[in-house]
Amino acid sequence: MNILKTVAGKTIKWVFLLFFFAVAVLPLVWLFLTSFKTEAEFISYPLSMPAAWQFQNYIDAVNVAKMHILFMNSVVIASFATLLNLLITSMAAFVVSREIFFLRNSISNVIVAGVLMPIVAFMVPYLTLIRTLGLYDTRMALVLTYAAINIPISFFLIKSFMISIPKDLEDAATIDGCSFSQRYTKVVLPLSRSGLVTAGTLTFIWSWNEFIYALLLTSSSKVRTIQLGISFFTTQFRSNYPAMYAAIVLAMIPSVLVYVFFHDKIISGLTAGAVKG
Amino acid sequence: MATRNRNWKWIIIFLLPIAAMYIAFFIYPFIFVFISSLMKWNGISPMEFVGFGNYAKMFGATTFQISVRNNLIWAASLGFLQVGLATIVAFLLARRPRFWKGLRTVYFVPKVISGVAIAMLWKAVYNAEYGALNAVLSLITGQEWSLNWLGEFHTALAAIIAQEVLYIGYFMIIILAGVMSIPTSYYEAAEIDGASVWQQETLITLPVVWGIVVTAMTLAMAYGLRHFEATFLMTGGGPGHSTSTLALMMYDKIGARKLGEASTLGTILVVVGFLVIVTLNNTLGRKSLTGEDQ
Repeated sequence: MNILKTVAGKTIKWVFLLFFFAVAVLPLVWLFLTSFKTEAEFISYPLSMPAAWQFQNYIDAVNVAKMHILFMNSVVIASFATLLNLLITSMAAFVVSREIFFLRNSISNVIVAGVLMPIVAFMVPYLTLIRTLGLYDTRMALVLTYAAINIPISFFLIKSFMISIPKDLEDAATIDGCSFSQRYTKVVLPLSRSGLVTAGTLTFIWSWNEFIYALLLTSSSKVRTIQLGISFFTTQFRSNYPAMYAAIVLAMIPSVLVYVFFHDKIISGLTAGAVKG
Repeated sequence: MATRNRNWKWIIIFLLPIAAMYIAFFIYPFIFVFISSLMKWNGISPMEFVGFGNYAKMFGATTFQISVRNNLIWAASLGFLQVGLATIVAFLLARRPRFWKGLRTVYFVPKVISGVAIAMLWKAVYNAEYGALNAVLSLITGQEWSLNWLGEFHTALAAIIAQEVLYIGYFMIIILAGVMSIPTSYYEAAEIDGASVWQQETLITLPVVWGIVVTAMTLAMAYGLRHFEATFLMTGGGPGHSTSTLALMMYDKIGARKLGEASTLGTILVVVGFLVIVTLNNTLGRKSLTGEDQ
């Protein structure tokens, strides 16, 4: 007897599934609706619909929180961190997947082992390193840190991808006169595009969402990222909760957009890492 | 040496950037955090060697003990509760009920939004006067709910944990991918033989995806031991120090210019994290379809 086909089984199953659906969706919907209320409406009843949609809240959000600066910083930092990360990991993955040399496997294993490191434990060394380099409170500090932290996962993904690219193409290219670096730039890199996009998407999202090291390594509002900016909203917006909620909604939009366009890459990247073990 | 490969010059050039970054951000910190844990240091004046004095101080401190307790609660909550729920949902979705693709997407969306935004969202939900939770409870029970979920000793920790445990999307997707790789013919055969759903899931699905589930549990526990963001944003460790975690304590120590003690906490984090991963992999291990150790 299939218990899931009985009325009782089906009910329990759907209560279960809908519960998690509600938890995932309802708070976000509530936040969205509340961001369009006036302060008076907000204070009177949390579960009401806004009488009129206060788009002014969103304009206030941008002005009070300086969303444009926060946004720009996050875009710049996440983009450059991703590019740097992809460059150095693809170079290393190229060499490790193609050439045989002393310590090749050990180097590869050590790099991938970095995935298990609790980065949060490195607050003191990272702070010291960035200060010594004179990069405290700069965007560069985060670009370097984010690029570095994502090395293990990007290297793992890109290497796995490159290994499956047949060597015959490069052998043919070498016969035609390709140099070592040209094999990388003209043959392997273009063929690795899918792996690069996957690794790049994960690195970008991670960098965009990162909070702890943005908090630790920067202080002025000029280089503040969106995530760090959100943490200041309570003091900036004081009692204007609806506008603050509007700012939070705005901060969420880029992540959702990236998901809409890259969800297959995101999921394949995450499953590749975990399923391999 | 490497000169056996005639491209060795290029190999070194291509490995230099990653080596530099990896040494700077993984190897050096790993060593430095341990060495500085043995020091008394404010970040500016020279370090002063104190041996294991910081460790003794930490183990005796109440905040430390509370933080460790909380981290263990986090690790267990994420590792067992969150992954457990994710596994059940994955098993249910793998049978492709109606709308399963939509549900899968919806479950995952909150995971793409930053932890910071989610924490602020739930801070709003938990708000005593204007929050959605109290409003919904008032509606359902007919009584006036005005509980300060994040400010009361007996609810704060559970409230923060809830907003993370209930978002099962990440692990659910990974386990789902594993479950859906099992050929449906196995289940059809089992059904013909009269196996119940429970038997099918525990005797077919579970053994096959067990490795993935253990990986998920290990990852989740590792996250639990490192927890920082949501607590920092929602309670700052309070009320009192009741929701504090090791990472939060570490951050506070840095603010208090006690970098040596901060490193001590960092080293403890690394060691404990390592122990958890090794223990989990050894005890639960990975068993293939036939039940052998892999």
